[in-house]
Amino acid sequence: MNAPRQAPALQAQDLCVTLGERQALRGVSLAFAPGRWTCIAGPNGAGKSTLLKALAGLLPHQGQVSLQGRALAQWPGRERARVLAWLGQGEHGAEDLSVWDVAMLGRLPHQGWLASPSEADRQAVEQALRATQAWEWRQRPMGALSGGERQRVLLARLLAVQAEVMLMDEPLANLDPPHQADWWHLVREQVGQGRTVVSVLHEVGMALLADDLVVLRQGQVAYAGPAQVPEAHRALEAVFEHRITIQPVGQRWVALPI
Amino acid sequence: MSGVRSAWLALALALTATVLAVVGIGVGSTGWASVWGAWHDPVAAQILWDIRLPRTLGAWVAGALLGLAGAVAQGLFRNPLADPYLLGSASGAALAVALTLAWWGGSPFAAAWLVRLGMTGAAFAGAVLGVALTLVLARGVQHTLRLLLAGVIVGVVLGAARDLVTIAQPDTLQAMQGFMLGSTGFVGWPAVGVMAGALLAGALAAAALGRVLDGLALGEATASSLGLPLPAARLALVAVLALCTGAAVAQTGLIAFVGLAAPHLVRSIVKTTHTRLVLLSAAMGGLLLMAADVLARWLLAPQELPVGVLTAALGGSYLLWLMHRRRAAGGVL
Amino acid sequence: MPKTGAKLLRLVLWGLLALASLAHAQGVQITDDRGVRVALPQAPQRIVSLLPSLTETVCELGQCHRLVGVDRYSNYPASVRRLPQLGGGLDPQIESVVALRPDVVLMSTSSRAAARLEALGLKVVALDTKTAADAKRVLGTLGQLLSVPDAERVWRAIEAGVGAAAQSLPPRSRPLRVYYEVSAGGYAAGPSSFIGELMGRMGVSNIVTPDLGPFPRINPEYVVRANPDLIMIGAHHASNLSARPGWPQMRAVRDNRVCIFNRDESDVLVRPGPRMAEAARLMARCIASKGAP
Repeated sequence: MNAPRQAPALQAQDLCVTLGERQALRGVSLAFAPGRWTCIAGPNGAGKSTLLKALAGLLPHQGQVSLQGRALAQWPGRERARVLAWLGQGEHGAEDLSVWDVAMLGRLPHQGWLASPSEADRQAVEQALRATQAWEWRQRPMGALSGGERQRVLLARLLAVQAEVMLMDEPLANLDPPHQADWWHLVREQVGQGRTVVSVLHEVGMALLADDLVVLRQGQVAYAGPAQVPEAHRALEAVFEHRITIQPVGQRWVALPI
Repeated sequence: MSGVRSAWLALALALTATVLAVVGIGVGSTGWASVWGAWHDPVAAQILWDIRLPRTLGAWVAGALLGLAGAVAQGLFRNPLADPYLLGSASGAALAVALTLAWWGGSPFAAAWLVRLGMTGAAFAGAVLGVALTLVLARGVQHTLRLLLAGVIVGVVLGAARDLVTIAQPDTLQAMQGFMLGSTGFVGWPAVGVMAGALLAGALAAAALGRVLDGLALGEATASSLGLPLPAARLALVAVLALCTGAAVAQTGLIAFVGLAAPHLVRSIVKTTHTRLVLLSAAMGGLLLMAADVLARWLLAPQELPVGVLTAALGGSYLLWLMHRRRAAGGVL
Repeated sequence: MPKTGAKLLRLVLWGLLALASLAHAQGVQITDDRGVRVALPQAPQRIVSLLPSLTETVCELGQCHRLVGVDRYSNYPASVRRLPQLGGGLDPQIESVVALRPDVVLMSTSSRAAARLEALGLKVVALDTKTAADAKRVLGTLGQLLSVPDAERVWRAIEAGVGAAAQSLPPRSRPLRVYYEVSAGGYAAGPSSFIGELMGRMGVSNIVTPDLGPFPRINPEYVVRANPDLIMIGAHHASNLSARPGWPQMRAVRDNRVCIFNRDESDVLVRPGPRMAEAARLMARCIASKGAP
């Protein structure tokens, strides 16, 4: 990892997670600098989702996770939720709620117990829904949406939190190429505003566009560093057993199957 | 906007309930004669004010308690088939009533104590203890699935215990049957007061916890990531379930279907967040049970039908019609 | 003058005492089976009875005309069937009861309605009738409540009837062994139940032992093993006795030593009340006709 010029926004030290009988993560130590986009890649079962959940404080773990220099366990729940937002993989449910209601769920960390949505909440939700092109049909129930539309609403829910650190697990599921491109622009915009984005992606081609890359294999870190250097590409090819080759195309790279 | 529709639904429910309440005081063994005679006949006045009015209002409050508990149960377990009796409250209350009936003629000590507690107190205590047993078995509220399983197990085990008690004392069988079918016939003003108190407390708590139920809609991990205090909130929701179900069951016995159907009926009209949903479910449940009570007294006056049969008939036929309409429109269900 | 004054005073005092005792005699006070003391200013004129045995007791005491309402199971004597029916004994229709303006409501102790009716200002007397001793006590309590002077005589007549029925049976060297099935599902009448007591008075022995309780649910196998000499059963569940496993081989079934009581007869036998003598006669008739020689 680059020597961070500032304190890391999110850091894991010797993280170990056991799921049932299996050890899903073994001695993972990572630091995520603020204002950068990191992608976590690796084969199926490598522990990517587990790592993201542990970083979000949703799984019991050994080792330590710190958010903005303070141990995660020491953050009060709502304060932590205002700073760290997590989007899970394939979230289902909430069929009866409208798009607007689901996006408003993202404002829960900012709202009091019996409070109704404030002006700030409404603006945040509108901003988030417009950013994911879901504003026009904000009154439709979730049950009436296609897979891609639903995913965009869930993304809007994440954005509405306006958190400093955003963890996303498979955010591109069901999204068609134009919306995948939209997502990429969105991430760049957020990162440009100083936020930290960590995403788990299956789409290797998109992962190659990130600032930093973490490659996981069998619960351990195989590579952690900048994404757009040859070492990263070789690490990716190696972890996928050389079934892909990464080739430059103009200013960028693509991953092609062999 | 779902807000406007919710407001219209609330208004419609309130108006219909008021109309039914007025009809309710005119229905019964002596019909409207008691209403006209109430001015000069103290017995007719007593029938009106001390029997029909508390019974009609009590039916509304009991139905509201069950509707509220049903909405909370369905939100907490994220299961549209959940009903308020899931966590062992019904079987606990039934067992307590069976034991009360069996010991009534037994030891004088037990009899004196039980007379003071009364059947209603015993039923309430049984409901709360049933839920407490479920919590102990599930070792807290950490996992919703474990809670659900524990509730089913407790229900079956306590039901078997109740069967043993009724077999040992077969003359309690008929009284138990009356309790299991449910009845609004014994609800007086004190009962209405107790239930109303429980309803107020339960409604406030459930409305405050509505956001937790909304957060849970996307899964427990997401709810936790949004900073919601899940264990404490789950415990509070289970407490609301126990309180509301216990209060209703203690006064009216086990009336089926209201807790299950009321949230579905509301959702068929308006889709909204949980804070509004629990309150509207309460109103809908109250209306459902009140309508069933009025019909129970009216259809074969002066005889009475069991109210549980009518709640199933009313709620069930509306849901059937709904399913038919959805299928005709090409929906999934 | 002082002497006549003292005489006058004594007269007045006696008069007052007489008046006081008269007033006291007019008011009625009893303790029901819940331990509740019920006081009425005078003997009740309008009575609602929600238990068949209590209805029969009231009529046996000659106060049938004071009944204004009964439960749906009260069917004897025939005149009570014309009275308004107020639902089951355990869950009567509260409004109907109140609308009849009764002075007192008679019901069983295991009903929820008692508390509700008392809250509405009605006087409730809850009585339990499970055994012959209960029937006697209830007769005495109701006699006191209804100010019937000689309830004792009524009981003596009943007792005499039972005794006569028992005496009408020929003596035996060894007692008949009898099985009485009370209801479908194999509920037998044990010795401590009312029917069991009657059986004891008739001099027959019950195949069910006292430790099993008043109405135990018996395994049909137990009956086969006990091999009773005589079976008594109600008609509405005697449909297919030979279909029960092991029963066709039983001596009682083979030799048709089975007494089948119809609905009305079953009512008489099951209810501990003033028709005890008739129950005894029914049982004696059964034993005489179907009992093994």
